[in-house]
Amino acid sequence: MRVPRAVALLVLCPWPVVAFAQPAVPPPAQEIEECLGCHGDPGLTMTLGDGSLQALHVDGEALAKSVHAGQLRCTDCHPGMAELPHPERARRNPTEFAAGFREACKACHFETYTKLLDSSHFALQARGVEGVPGCIECHGSHGVMDPSTPRTQVSDTCAACHSEVAERYGASVHGRGLQGKAAGDVPVCTDCHRSHDLAGPSDRSWLSRTHEVCGSCHGDKGRMERYGLSADVMQTYLADFHGATATLGQARPEDGTRVTALCTDCHGVHDIARVDDPKSPVLRANLAKTCRKCHEGATDDFPAAWMSHYEPSWERAPLVYATKLFYKVLVPFIIGGLVLQVLLHFWRVVVNR
Amino acid sequence: MTQAGEQVQRFTTRQRLEHVAVMSLFILLAVTGFPQKYYDFPLSAPFVQAVGGIGAVRLVHRLAGIAFGLLSAVHLGSVVWGAATHRIPLSMVPTRQDFRDALQTLRYYLRLTDRKALFDRFDYREKFEYWGLMAGGLIMTSTGLVLYLPVLTARFLPAELIPVAKVAHSNEGLLAFLTVIVWHLYNVHLAPEVFPFNKSIFTGNISREHLKEHHTLEYQRLFPDEEEKEAS
Repeated sequence: MRVPRAVALLVLCPWPVVAFAQPAVPPPAQEIEECLGCHGDPGLTMTLGDGSLQALHVDGEALAKSVHAGQLRCTDCHPGMAELPHPERARRNPTEFAAGFREACKACHFETYTKLLDSSHFALQARGVEGVPGCIECHGSHGVMDPSTPRTQVSDTCAACHSEVAERYGASVHGRGLQGKAAGDVPVCTDCHRSHDLAGPSDRSWLSRTHEVCGSCHGDKGRMERYGLSADVMQTYLADFHGATATLGQARPEDGTRVTALCTDCHGVHDIARVDDPKSPVLRANLAKTCRKCHEGATDDFPAAWMSHYEPSWERAPLVYATKLFYKVLVPFIIGGLVLQVLLHFWRVVVNR
Repeated sequence: MTQAGEQVQRFTTRQRLEHVAVMSLFILLAVTGFPQKYYDFPLSAPFVQAVGGIGAVRLVHRLAGIAFGLLSAVHLGSVVWGAATHRIPLSMVPTRQDFRDALQTLRYYLRLTDRKALFDRFDYREKFEYWGLMAGGLIMTSTGLVLYLPVLTARFLPAELIPVAKVAHSNEGLLAFLTVIVWHLYNVHLAPEVFPFNKSIFTGNISREHLKEHHTLEYQRLFPDEEEKEAS
């Protein structure tokens, strides 16, 4: 009968020890309520190293509506802050203050964090440029929501800093489409620039793949049909001198020289317009001027050399079509005839002597 | 008496040099041209990158093209001048006899006759290749210049001709390449009579037997005595 007593001790004794070894963790809702006790005050601030005031107010309502509501407790993102009074943390300026939270996001969003390290924003930050966004500058902090619902949200987010570009984009065919029925089809900033691993405007390897960026939508037949646009534009571009060059090499080498025309060189970038818009640089009336950007001294007739993304046909470019047809007949005729002669000769000399 | 293996001169030093030059330029143009024609072939971009980028490839292609054009112009110029002053024979000019020879050869291939056509200094195949090269070279050089200097072209000619030149340059280049692969390489390497290698254009010489066999009319003209000896 001694064994059951030992078992009872073994079962009963350790539990209180385990329970008391952990510090008391209040449930998330209770913790949030406790923190909001002070941080719910809109006037709560602290002074940073550079003398600027940093607001420490937390909007409890936004927090309750955020995607993290019910998932995270305050101390998941603010480790160590369970201690009261809070431990001293020296932050020299707002950028440094915000950068500190990147580490908090990394704990869950590790893949996104590593992408961020490849971004041009991070490269600027690493050089010490102030005001460059990390995580919370774009996503917000306590009220973090799905960044692309609605899609206009993305452009608005970028517009906070890139206001001039955002204005031009807003007036473009893409930007105007975003406000209407085409909202689901037009690109927002991140569709072309990517988001976390975004490339800077002078990133050569990204620029060289411009036709792929544009082609991901403009080569999509279903999407283009909805707007009466041709989905052949990428294929016809590639088949021409400019596109073949872009495929074969870095279209923008490190020395910054322009090797070939990319989509954006003729159509514009953020201010891209419909091809029948009077302002469009590819409208027939404006095209010669656009060609002259690279082809110095081009005559007004010079744009006739460009097939305007059309496959040659009798109706369009009959000369090109006829030449193509001529060789389509000539090459097999001549080569076929020569092969036949070779075979006959071989047959007569070797087999049928 | 003819000795076995005795050599007769067939090409001058200048002609041999011209062949080496045109051969090197042709290879160089093909190597730098086809990756541009077949830009989406999986090996094209890596090749272009490996040899210094599209800029370098185009520079080499254009320089080789200009050299090819100059070589053709100098050749054609001296041939015309030589012919006009009767200093060189018109042995490369196509005649009616060439068409008769071609038909006769075709009949021979088909066993309609056992009599082979007898050729003079250049047979109809050699003439076809020579004039094919000259005509093709003219097309390639002129369309190549149009593609090299599109802005200048558009100043004097309708700009529609630029994409025409691109189609012609691309297809004519393919035609020339395939002709060399199929026809030239067979006739000078793989044909049983010359296998593995007809070296005449490199050494400048042809063996007397080969001359007698393949350029019978020329042989008879060069060695009329031999014919009589054999006949008697």
